[in-house]
Amino acid sequence: MSLQFGSVTFDTLRRGLKSGIDVTWQLAKVMIPIYFIVTFLKHTPILGAIARLFAPLMGIFGLPGEAALVLVLGNLVNLYAAIGAIVSLSLSLKEIAVLAIMLSFCHSLPVETALAKKIGLSAISVIAVRMGLAVLSGLAFNFLL
Amino acid sequence: MLDALKEATVGSMQSVKQIAIIVIPIMVVMEILKDVELLDRIADLFSPVVRIFGMRKESAFPLVIGIIIGLSYGAGIIFKAAKENKLSKKDLYLITYFLVAAHAVFEDTAIFAALGVSAVLLLSTRLAVAAMFTFLASKVIKEPEKEVNL
Repeated sequence: MSLQFGSVTFDTLRRGLKSGIDVTWQLAKVMIPIYFIVTFLKHTPILGAIARLFAPLMGIFGLPGEAALVLVLGNLVNLYAAIGAIVSLSLSLKEIAVLAIMLSFCHSLPVETALAKKIGLSAISVIAVRMGLAVLSGLAFNFLL
Repeated sequence: MLDALKEATVGSMQSVKQIAIIVIPIMVVMEILKDVELLDRIADLFSPVVRIFGMRKESAFPLVIGIIIGLSYGAGIIFKAAKENKLSKKDLYLITYFLVAAHAVFEDTAIFAALGVSAVLLLSTRLAVAAMFTFLASKVIKEPEKEVNL
């Protein structure tokens, strides 16, 4: 193979493709069902009810009420679930940016908190820090963008 | 009903495709980074930086790996470094605080960038905020007394 920089071989590319496809598969597996569920909810009064319930809270971040669904899915499941909800709702680019920074700091809480606990941090402090950063960054993005 | 089914099928497939186009090349680049041992070099580069957080220079490697590759892979390296007694407990805690706020940054940023959000804005905000928080934490956290059993 002429493609040889240091220890980069054809196998490197193969592994990269494999892990890329793997991530895509993990994403598809979670995102597609969520997309279907949210799309169906959109055609029922349920989504409207959720939106009205959370509108005051989400309004703080310049988000519509249904964005609560995105934050809940991202935190309890993972980012892929949140993405599934984002793409099936009709959100503006600014709203997606606010959700993106909030979710970047705070997502997949059950799995990731367990890891941090294993290293020796307390679950409460990890969750508090992550939620705190999410709230502050969300407020900042809403204000600045 | 049929409309919703069609909307969900087409929409979800398009979204998966949109993200795959960005994520697959990113993962290839990550494997290349691992194999050219660039991660070690980046970690070396960061050795002086981690001193700002009051950490030993050995903290740079698990920190950089966690930031770039991800939390679970990073945690593996952290456990290994801790077992070899290369890190103080405070270092361990600070690395973990940094990483819970910012890990797998390229993968996560790519996914949101596929939706149209500025990658530079997301990435720089995330890293800067995680660094600021870790700096504050380094001033507040005392070296803990209790044993860490990994």
